[in-house]
Amino acid sequence: MNSKTESDKHEDIGCLQAIEAFYAYLDGELEDPKSISDFEHHMSHCRSCFSRSDVEKLLTERMRQSASSEAPQELRGRIRRLMDEL
Amino acid sequence: MTEQEDIKVFFSRNIEEAMDALYGTALRLAGTGADAEDLVAESVSKAWSAIETLQDRSRFRPWIFRILHNCFVSNYRRKAVRPTELPYPEDGDDGLATLLNEQPDEFLIWWANPEREFFNNVLGDAIVAAIEQLPEAFRAAILLINGEGLTYDEAAEALGVPQGTIRSRMKRGRTMLQKALWEQARDAGLAGPGDTNRHDK
Repeated sequence: MNSKTESDKHEDIGCLQAIEAFYAYLDGELEDPKSISDFEHHMSHCRSCFSRSDVEKLLTERMRQSASSEAPQELRGRIRRLMDEL
Repeated sequence: MTEQEDIKVFFSRNIEEAMDALYGTALRLAGTGADAEDLVAESVSKAWSAIETLQDRSRFRPWIFRILHNCFVSNYRRKAVRPTELPYPEDGDDGLATLLNEQPDEFLIWWANPEREFFNNVLGDAIVAAIEQLPEAFRAAILLINGEGLTYDEAAEALGVPQGTIRSRMKRGRTMLQKALWEQARDAGLAGPGDTNRHDK
């Protein structure tokens, strides 16, 4: 009974609509509380979308690690000298 | 401390904090370490000359990335050493259904149910190669948001486009990125079609 009441609070969005919201949600850009709630509700009962979301998170994390670069010491020295001249 | 000294301290501290992110973005845009270093140095110099245009100090990151991007477009884009890029799709507020309809069925079957294991095993080099194949507009948005942690609002300011365009580029860019990874894996015999549990297309 409780779960039915809980379920009634959410609009049952389909998979396409959920995937439309994927990146905005994962990137912390979905702001409307109802959209967040509907998205999370869909994820809670759609195994396929939950699985995709899980993979998207993993890929985002791998991208963050792979795309990041450390500035070379030579560049840091060059910028420091530039700053000293300001 | 005079106002000028205060601005200089603020500028130096923020440049230092953003240095890795600026270099990383410059490297993915320009393609070589030498050009990336020149691009960062030139951008820092231009930024200091234009410091009075920074109206809100809390917007330093999008402001400096915008200068870096403009500097790249003006002076480095033409000579950038780039792998062959994927065709540039038009920006638009098209829905996911349109986007998916453009993809081959074999990819969609895999995309609808990708194996987590596959992404666990994808090497960092393969991800970088896939990012570098993206058309510049998509690559820049993904690098700034997923690589450097800018918000959509900040990325829109940095790239000089509306936020809706950033949203659209993220959706398309991420799909193109996965397709490039899938093609790499397929060509290496590592990924075949997934199961038939597909999303509605």
